[in-house]
Amino acid sequence: MTYALPALVFVMVALATVQTLRRAAWWRLGAAAPVAWGAGLLALPKRYLVDVHHVVARDAYASRMHAVVAGGLLAATLLAALAALPPLGGSRIYWAAVALAFGVTAAGAVLVGARRYPKRPKRLSGGGFQILPVLLLAYAFGGLAAALLLAFGVASAPALVAAVALAAGGGLGLAYEVRSGPMRHAVAGALHLIAHPRPRRFDGGAPDAALVALDLDAPRLGVETPADLAWNRLLSFDACIQCGRCESACPAFAAGQPLNPKRLIQDLVAAATADERAYAGSPYPNARDVAAPTEPLFRVIGEGARIHPDTLWSCTTCRACVEECPMMIEHVDAIVSLRRHQTLELGAVPAKAAATLDNLRAAEELGGRPLAARVDFAAGAPLPVIGEREVDVLLWLGEGAYDLRYGRTLRALVKLLNMAKVDFAVLGAEERDTGDLARRLGDEATYQTLARANVATLARHRFKRIVTSDPHALHALRNEYRAFGATYEVVHHTAFLLELVEQGRLAPGALGGASVTYHDPCYLGRYNGETEAPRKLLDRLGLDRVEMARHGRRSMCCGGGGGAPVSDIPGDARIPDLRMAQAAETGAGIVAVACPTCTAMLEGVTGRTAEVKDIAELLLASVEAGR
Amino acid sequence: MIANADALLKPLTIKGLTIRNRVMSTSHAPGYGQDGKPQERYQLYHAEKAKGGIGLTMFGGSSSVALDSPAAPWNQISVADDSVVPFFQQFADRVHAHGAKLMIQLTHMGRRTKYDTENWFPTLSASAMREPASRTIPKEMEQEDIDRVVRDFAAAARRCKEGGLDGCEVSAAHGHLIDQFWSPGVNRRTDKYGGSLENRMRFGIEVLEAMRAEVGDDYVIGIRMSGDEMIADGLSHEDCLTIASEYARRGLVDFLNILGGQARDHIAHAISLPNMSFPVAPFLFLPSAVKREVDVAVFHAQRVTDLATAARAVSEGHVDMVAMTRAHIADPHLVKKLSEGRADDIRQCVGAGYCIDRIYVGGDALCIQNAATGREATMPHVIAKADVRRKVVVVGAGPAGLEAARVAAERGHSVVLFEKEKLAGGQIGIAAKAGWREALSGVTRWLVGQVTKLGVDLRFGTAATEEAILAERPDVVIVATGGLPSRGPAKGAAEHAVTTWDVLTGAVEPTGSVLLYDEMGQHNAASTAELLAKRGCLVELATHDRMVGEELGATNQPVHLRELYKLGVIMTPNMELIEIYPEGNRLVAALRNTMTDAEEERVVDRVIVEHGTLPVDALFFGLKGGSVNQGVLDQAAIVRGEPQPYDLAKGYALYRVGDAVAGRNIHAAIYDALRLCKDL
Repeated sequence: MTYALPALVFVMVALATVQTLRRAAWWRLGAAAPVAWGAGLLALPKRYLVDVHHVVARDAYASRMHAVVAGGLLAATLLAALAALPPLGGSRIYWAAVALAFGVTAAGAVLVGARRYPKRPKRLSGGGFQILPVLLLAYAFGGLAAALLLAFGVASAPALVAAVALAAGGGLGLAYEVRSGPMRHAVAGALHLIAHPRPRRFDGGAPDAALVALDLDAPRLGVETPADLAWNRLLSFDACIQCGRCESACPAFAAGQPLNPKRLIQDLVAAATADERAYAGSPYPNARDVAAPTEPLFRVIGEGARIHPDTLWSCTTCRACVEECPMMIEHVDAIVSLRRHQTLELGAVPAKAAATLDNLRAAEELGGRPLAARVDFAAGAPLPVIGEREVDVLLWLGEGAYDLRYGRTLRALVKLLNMAKVDFAVLGAEERDTGDLARRLGDEATYQTLARANVATLARHRFKRIVTSDPHALHALRNEYRAFGATYEVVHHTAFLLELVEQGRLAPGALGGASVTYHDPCYLGRYNGETEAPRKLLDRLGLDRVEMARHGRRSMCCGGGGGAPVSDIPGDARIPDLRMAQAAETGAGIVAVACPTCTAMLEGVTGRTAEVKDIAELLLASVEAGR
Repeated sequence: MIANADALLKPLTIKGLTIRNRVMSTSHAPGYGQDGKPQERYQLYHAEKAKGGIGLTMFGGSSSVALDSPAAPWNQISVADDSVVPFFQQFADRVHAHGAKLMIQLTHMGRRTKYDTENWFPTLSASAMREPASRTIPKEMEQEDIDRVVRDFAAAARRCKEGGLDGCEVSAAHGHLIDQFWSPGVNRRTDKYGGSLENRMRFGIEVLEAMRAEVGDDYVIGIRMSGDEMIADGLSHEDCLTIASEYARRGLVDFLNILGGQARDHIAHAISLPNMSFPVAPFLFLPSAVKREVDVAVFHAQRVTDLATAARAVSEGHVDMVAMTRAHIADPHLVKKLSEGRADDIRQCVGAGYCIDRIYVGGDALCIQNAATGREATMPHVIAKADVRRKVVVVGAGPAGLEAARVAAERGHSVVLFEKEKLAGGQIGIAAKAGWREALSGVTRWLVGQVTKLGVDLRFGTAATEEAILAERPDVVIVATGGLPSRGPAKGAAEHAVTTWDVLTGAVEPTGSVLLYDEMGQHNAASTAELLAKRGCLVELATHDRMVGEELGATNQPVHLRELYKLGVIMTPNMELIEIYPEGNRLVAALRNTMTDAEEERVVDRVIVEHGTLPVDALFFGLKGGSVNQGVLDQAAIVRGEPQPYDLAKGYALYRVGDAVAGRNIHAAIYDALRLCKDL
């Protein structure tokens, strides 16, 4: 009986391999995708131990639990397998070591069980996931008992048979579950980390958040059925352990809109797998009725399909789910590729969004307003328009310039630039919409038209860098226009103003009085990793700065991204109301913003709320106070 | 949030002139001219609007271009000679410094003025038809007069251009010379200037052509005209459209400043300057109709008192520029507040007509609720913080007390405001109960909004006592306890008369026949009479004066008279109430004719009197002895604009403001408070 445990491990490995291969047939339904296997494999330990654990560690219990149970499981299984070697299998001390590893696994299994029993947290899926601690406990305690018996030299007792049987029950169960149960995340997750569709996100630089350009000449645009997704995207979905961190972070979910990123990923899996187990996590809030077809590889989106269009259009593309996903799944990529098919192939965009896209196509501007009216916000103040001469700074005004409220911010910014004697100019009537909104709504064609036009315009002018107060414009210009061969140095106004203050070109005085909390714009924080400059700038103004519970890269969206305001999918609450309630919890009298969309969304919250002020407005007040 | 407010903040380019937004102030005559020139007071008044963000401010309503159109009435501007040019230059610099544009109105008044005010030349017109408003009979113009006035207009336009003004408009509204020629009711000529509309338009065309020839095609010239004179023998809407399109088609005008009505008599005048009895923007349909016909910019003013209406007028395309002239008198920083997201801080014009009524009796334009307007040299629109923070206790939340609390709080002081009633407003709240006077409550609304926002410790429903005031350990106590109505000296009045207050507050609800006796000639009695008549009383309004509402101005008195006539109120002037005594369950009121001494009696169910108010001053006298200044206001310091010279280290200073000193009006109450508290 000495070799019973190693044998069990070999059988388990064989079973897991079979199950993985069966599952791999499903991944192969997806479209081909280039994967750097060698580099991915080499990078795996770092991706797992650093990147994954950086996310996992945000939940201290889960992190400890996973380290113990996964570490124990791997160690115990490996050590048990090595006992097949005669010198080791014959060593009672070795078996003691094996027992120790199983013991650790058992402790981890208890932690897993304790998290799910007696009451499972809402964000964790139940169903098949509830069996996981049982299998782990069986394997761990069976293995522990068997190894202890062997360590004490008991080599053929009925007790040992019973112990090995228990371990086999658990271990084979775990191996079987590699195809469609909880343990799928381990194997698929590891493969996903190797073959990740965005390997650059592990490079440690700025986040890799630019959408991939769509080939508009492709026979089918966007994703209609799961088979239209790249194979490694399908693989990535299998990495999901249904921990629900994404749903906890999702603003649309919080607002009761019919979106749950976890459910969405599972729906994409189920849409392609006939015998996928029933989903047992939180539903889409206020889920719309759909007549889910039974045959696999059917179209994914539609009232007669698995996912209702309202779910798709609820997303604000804030990337909170991506930021929180310990398995490095790219939900937003999936959503945008689904939207691309809806918009480009079916023209099935929400009504108000269709009007906006029409405006963008006809007038190159969201509201269909004249491009020349973009500078009207200046209200008579001189605004240099770029000409032949090279300027230090091209000020990209963005869509906010058309908004009455945001005009205040831009006027403050322009005033500050003048005070600091910055050599700047605007494009005037030559500035078009960046296409950000069109792109997030899946209208890649309009986006590409606008992007090409803007790139051509910018190529006609000479400037050292672009400054913008609009993080959406910043992201498009800095990251997404690269696909058109255009590389600009794009600086967010908060970073630029900080620079001016640090150079002594602006001298803020103390504002005093109110405390302030800073709301990170998604497209600046999560999309571009810039969370420090705005805070450093605020700290120069003599205000008492407090943080909301969700801030920095883990901040919550204002509800204004991804076309959500024009898609306007009803929920129970409004996202900006939720966010302002979070701000109110800090007691701050001012919510500092750094994005025209956040300004509009948060200031649109009714009732007695904190003042919503852009950092440029606060800086101007402070500079004027300091005079 | 004001819907479509962004439409107001779009620039407008007329020829080469870019106006930064769509909000303007039309030319008017605030009575600030000195020696026929716009001097410091006049300039600062408009510069304040420029500072406050206005796009275009036009001054000099009815500025005269000729010697026989005198500038003397209403302290107006004369553009009849070159001596005005340096003043224009200084004026333009002052306004341009704040980014606004400046234009003037030029006119020849024709018959709409008096011959006996300046140069004693006879008035002129197309025909020798008497004007009811000015009561003059003009001389019919000879061809030489026409040619001379045309030259005068051209020379005046040149002076505007030389003075750096951004443009000018000619007035062809309110019955001035050009529209006297247009109007078939005035123009009875048989030469080429009379008869057909084409002929009647000729004089104006000659004027504008001569101006164009003088200043060139790129100088902005507009015309102010009616869109419908609304009288049988006047210009119809179609006539006005024809004139507007013809002048625009000929390239004579760059903008049309359209209004409704005319002003040849009292009621027409009151309608053309609508007060609070009218809905907002009552004539917006007229510029809208003109705008459909022409390609030049269209301006319009007439009771656009709020930004929501203004934004609608522009965003819906009725007008290109919306004029908020009286709205800027109430708050010259209106546009700035809008663009800074502080629309709630705008002091909205209530349409009391106080500003304009004053100028028609030769006074200067002052705002009923903003005592700084027209006094920019001495009174701040934005109150500066004080160096030392004081404790200020204000008693009474009528206009005087609210303004005192507001200004003191703006100064940074810690302010407690006691008010025995549950609601603020004092007498304003009573006046606002009378029919169309309701909008008066806007004065209180803004003040309460401001003191609330400024964190004044508001103790409504709390009667102040000396102990409660002194318990606050105040540095300054301001008594603004207002007044109570007097019943007057008539025998038996104390026992048998009730007051207009009793009626308006609902304390008594008269029925049957009522004698309302008025010694004030103000709104109080007239509006009470209207209220009673509407409730079914048979009302006689008797007054000591020569007519009912004698103290009321040009935009208000005709409206009262119209209502009183419509309601069948009997108006009895030149009477004095001498005695009231009961007879059975009715009252006998004895009246004496002030001219003949003949006595008459009325047997009525109620006698109501209006004798103004007497101060409520017990608290003041109770606190007077303990104060460092014995309750005395140093008037010389007030006039010099200096702080009161009392040493607050030794105790509290005591002042009283508003009707608590002597019964006056809302403006007096607010001015008392502002000028005292701005230096506290």
